[in-house]
Amino acid sequence: MALKKSNNSRKVGVALTLFSLLAMVIVFEYYKIDRGHINFIIIEIIVFIVFLVSFTKTFIKTGLWKFTHKPLKKLDEREIELTSKSLRYAYGIFTVLVLGLLLSLAVTNLSIDVVLVASLILFAHILPASVIAWTEK
Amino acid sequence: MLHIYNIMLYIYTMESRNIYNRIAVLRKEKLLTRKELADKIGVNFQTIGYLEREEYNPSLDLAFRIGKVFDLPIDIIFSTEPLKPLSQLLNNNKEK
Repeated sequence: MALKKSNNSRKVGVALTLFSLLAMVIVFEYYKIDRGHINFIIIEIIVFIVFLVSFTKTFIKTGLWKFTHKPLKKLDEREIELTSKSLRYAYGIFTVLVLGLLLSLAVTNLSIDVVLVASLILFAHILPASVIAWTEK
Repeated sequence: MLHIYNIMLYIYTMESRNIYNRIAVLRKEKLLTRKELADKIGVNFQTIGYLEREEYNPSLDLAFRIGKVFDLPIDIIFSTEPLKPLSQLLNNNKEK
């Protein structure tokens, strides 16, 4: 029961982190369109705080971030198998997502801004740990 | 076509095959903690938990390292069939 609860809270943490990351990009895009609106800055700050809290709780405190960024020499054979599986899934997800994003940006004639790029870099780093957090028992 | 099917069946059965082991019993018998056993065979202590719960199949190299720690051949520790208690195994050998 406790294991199931911790699994669910881990999944909620991952979902919250990824959604807040996406929300940061969307809010910034709206801010670009309507520059005079201070509400967007406030929302952006709130979303950023949500991201920081959920990221720290889900990835830093659980050691997942450290685990997926460990050098290969410091991992045992099960951990190597686990990280390589998560990296394979993460690579697939990231590639499809970025290519889809580039295609939609090209179609809609929108520009790529610094928040989008920074979010994508963060997303690429978080994704393997997210896959482990989501799939592991 | 049949050849491809056979390969796929082989891969499927290879991946889904469960390896049973006596690591938990032997570790307790040797009065070792998971951490101590993990240090002896050079893995993370969490991996010992995965091995004991039979959620991870070790490599041949790791199986030999485990065998060396318990001073037993690997076919006594690992099996593809569900394992009988060691006492039953010893009784069967005596009867023979």
